[in-house]
Amino acid sequence: MSKASFVVRRVLQLGVTFWAVGTVLFFLFRLMPGDPTSFVVSAQMTPEARQRIIESFGLNDPLHVQYIAFLRNALTLDFGQSFHTNEPVRDVIWTFLPNTLVLMLTAFVIAYILGITLGVFTGWYRGTNFEKGTVVTALTARSVPTFYVGLIVLWIFGAGLGVIPMSGMGTSGMDGGWWSRIFTTTFLHHLLAPAAVLAFYYMGYPLLIMRSSMMEVLSQDFIDVCRAKGLRERTIMFKHAARNAMLPILTAAAIALGYAVGGSVLIETVFGWPGIGREMVRAVLRRDFPVAQGTFMVLAATIIILNFVADLLYGYLDPRVTYD
Amino acid sequence: MSSEHTANRRAFLNKAGSTAGLVGLTAMAGCADDEDDPGGDDDGGADVDATDPDDLGEQLPTYTYLNNAQSYNPPRHDAVNLISDRLENIGLDMEVEVLEWGTLFNRVDVEYDYDFSTWHTFFTIDPVLEFSSTMYSENTSPGDGNFAGYENPDADDLMDQYLVEPDADRRIELVHDLQQTLMEDLPQMPIVDMPFLAVFNNEKVTNWEPDLPLGFNSYWTMINLEMLDGEETLVGYWPEALDTMNPLGHNDENKHTYNFDIMYDSVVRLDNEGEINTDVSLATDFERVDEDTMEYTIRDHTFHDGEPLTVDDVVFSYNYIADNEVPLYSVQANFIDEAEAVDDETVRIHMEEPLGPFNLLVGTQIPILPEHRWADRDEPSQVNIEEPVGSGPLQFNYWDRGAEFGLERFDDHFAPVDFEERIWRIIPEASTVWEGLREGDITYETFGRIDRQLDENRDLDQITVLTEPATSYWHCTPNARTEGLDDPEVRKAAFNAVPRTPIVEQILFDVPEPGFNVVSAAFGPLHTDDVTRYDEDIDAGIQRLRDAGYVFDEDGMVHFPAE
Repeated sequence: MSKASFVVRRVLQLGVTFWAVGTVLFFLFRLMPGDPTSFVVSAQMTPEARQRIIESFGLNDPLHVQYIAFLRNALTLDFGQSFHTNEPVRDVIWTFLPNTLVLMLTAFVIAYILGITLGVFTGWYRGTNFEKGTVVTALTARSVPTFYVGLIVLWIFGAGLGVIPMSGMGTSGMDGGWWSRIFTTTFLHHLLAPAAVLAFYYMGYPLLIMRSSMMEVLSQDFIDVCRAKGLRERTIMFKHAARNAMLPILTAAAIALGYAVGGSVLIETVFGWPGIGREMVRAVLRRDFPVAQGTFMVLAATIIILNFVADLLYGYLDPRVTYD
Repeated sequence: MSSEHTANRRAFLNKAGSTAGLVGLTAMAGCADDEDDPGGDDDGGADVDATDPDDLGEQLPTYTYLNNAQSYNPPRHDAVNLISDRLENIGLDMEVEVLEWGTLFNRVDVEYDYDFSTWHTFFTIDPVLEFSSTMYSENTSPGDGNFAGYENPDADDLMDQYLVEPDADRRIELVHDLQQTLMEDLPQMPIVDMPFLAVFNNEKVTNWEPDLPLGFNSYWTMINLEMLDGEETLVGYWPEALDTMNPLGHNDENKHTYNFDIMYDSVVRLDNEGEINTDVSLATDFERVDEDTMEYTIRDHTFHDGEPLTVDDVVFSYNYIADNEVPLYSVQANFIDEAEAVDDETVRIHMEEPLGPFNLLVGTQIPILPEHRWADRDEPSQVNIEEPVGSGPLQFNYWDRGAEFGLERFDDHFAPVDFEERIWRIIPEASTVWEGLREGDITYETFGRIDRQLDENRDLDQITVLTEPATSYWHCTPNARTEGLDDPEVRKAAFNAVPRTPIVEQILFDVPEPGFNVVSAAFGPLHTDDVTRYDEDIDAGIQRLRDAGYVFDEDGMVHFPAE
């Protein structure tokens, strides 16, 4: 199969996948127990007022009518209007998603640079105390809950030493738009701790994958050939071994990056970061169907598309990969 | 320590979750052995002599007590487990079902599919307004409000009379009779009177005076606060973001009410005595013209955008909310027929039907909106507003969604605040809040959380904690639609078993008071101490069941008597 055919087939598969995800989300939220209007109405509203709200949300329509309307709107990326804020879901997502992205991507980049580098060294220096120490650290990073690490960091560096802010993304009443804010030292100061805690957590995954992959590559004949040719150790390590060990990292990174879009509820909660993760959970708990559906669709779409991109990159990075 | 409390503490230790665990450990030192603990039998069943099997009728059904998840409200979760344990000790067969809050609320308030439920009643400005929804006999259909399933024509009659009675003294008599009726029938058991809490850094601000029904977050509180040491900013917090800037489009949650109440004037305002105070109200005078007409004299004032606030704006606000059937004000709208301008400073409001406490239930509630901003808005509750314009003592400054909300002083207000701005930060993590309070970065604890951190910090020099009776309480509500629970004697026996004092002492750090009346002392003269009271006594509960003809099997479980 040619690359073009592969892409066409995968794009069609993506369409089916999006439909399946949207359908599951739609029915899943409606199968959840609890009346979404019970979160919107005041306890002192009259039954008639409550009924008017139900009708204004379209929740009195038959399920298939709601489903068709949902699919039709989703095609135009219109996920409706929040039951709680009366805002278009698109606006809700655009309010919170950038905050999450800047935090998660910062953490992600730090984690993957450090994780991959350390993974290369631990694979290379197999059996040494350095490897053992690094692996233990990586396992610890993956095992300790992030909110716990976050609270300890806040306790020591925030409450104790006073070198990091305790909460939020900036100081009170910061002027300017989002873009101008994120390039201020105040913002970077607020970003430091949550990004570091997340990076510490994320780092273990690429580190361990890279280490395993490196060990596999280092056992192959071409490494011996490199040595026989008299290449420098660092050249073999990075130019030949690490480059060939990178492929598994690519898939892992694509999936991890997709999940990063969903934010980290715990970190956003501990550090008071106004991100999409908290909003997503709040929407589910309050049965705000439009927001919940919209945010989950964005998360699903990111994972699906990044996986697709990773598949394409595989073929580009390793010519031996075929599209059969 | 009494043996009763010892038993309660043991049950608490057995049943309570991790939140209260540390506190429970302190209590363990005082616990007696199992054999000294008549109430602590985990297997359930009353400690009584069994009735002859031939005299046993059907056993009372197994009752399901719906409980919120521990993570949602830890102390209430622990309290429900403890109450359930104690109900078993009078011979009821109990099971606790833990549900996520939305599901729980729906099961109780909409579907009425429960046997026992507990939550925090809503802040209300008038107790009868609440009861006329939750205790009125006609409201027992699903979703109508009377989730307790309580029906009593006498109580209905008292509520009806109260709502149309223009004479305040007569209303007091009626509500006293009503609360006695409710405490005699016990459709709802008040477990704990939850207080208004003012927790603040006393180096920054002082003079906290509460008000009905918003306590220390009320208009009256804000206009009376005194900032210290040149401090100009009042900093509070909320654990989650505000939803909207639309004063007609929110769901009455406190986070919204606390802000819109200070941004928008109403025609009349209450003081800390619960009285209408025209010195701080938009209306400088008011008069009941006849039983269904009120007249208000409106002072010269302006909106935050500089436009004059006229009688036409008042007329518009009342008519607009009533005509558009704004859901948030649906109760008030039912009482509004029409508003009209009598002259340049007088507004007359005609009621749909006579309403005695009109000022309290409507006059203090309806926000005065600028007609020039709202006249063209057809769906008032669904309007998306970026910058709200009211006429209250605080005006909109900025809203950083999910992070912070800032209000600033409106200098032209007739009852100005003492601070330049008020900021609410969105801080979900409680320990961060307390760190901010200790350091003075946060001026006051807006949310009123009663937890271990409050207990650990309340004795610090820079922290002051004030409590005042609030209008709300934790209720334990049996569903009168369920067999057995339709009998007031069973409900009374259950109330004997509810461990109110241990809940206060051990789960709520001795901050609130045990409940005994469904009308809180916060309502001032509307409250009376002269109601039927129930001892916290398992044996009294058992005896009450026996006196009502119920019998016990050899496992101590309650049965109806044999036919």
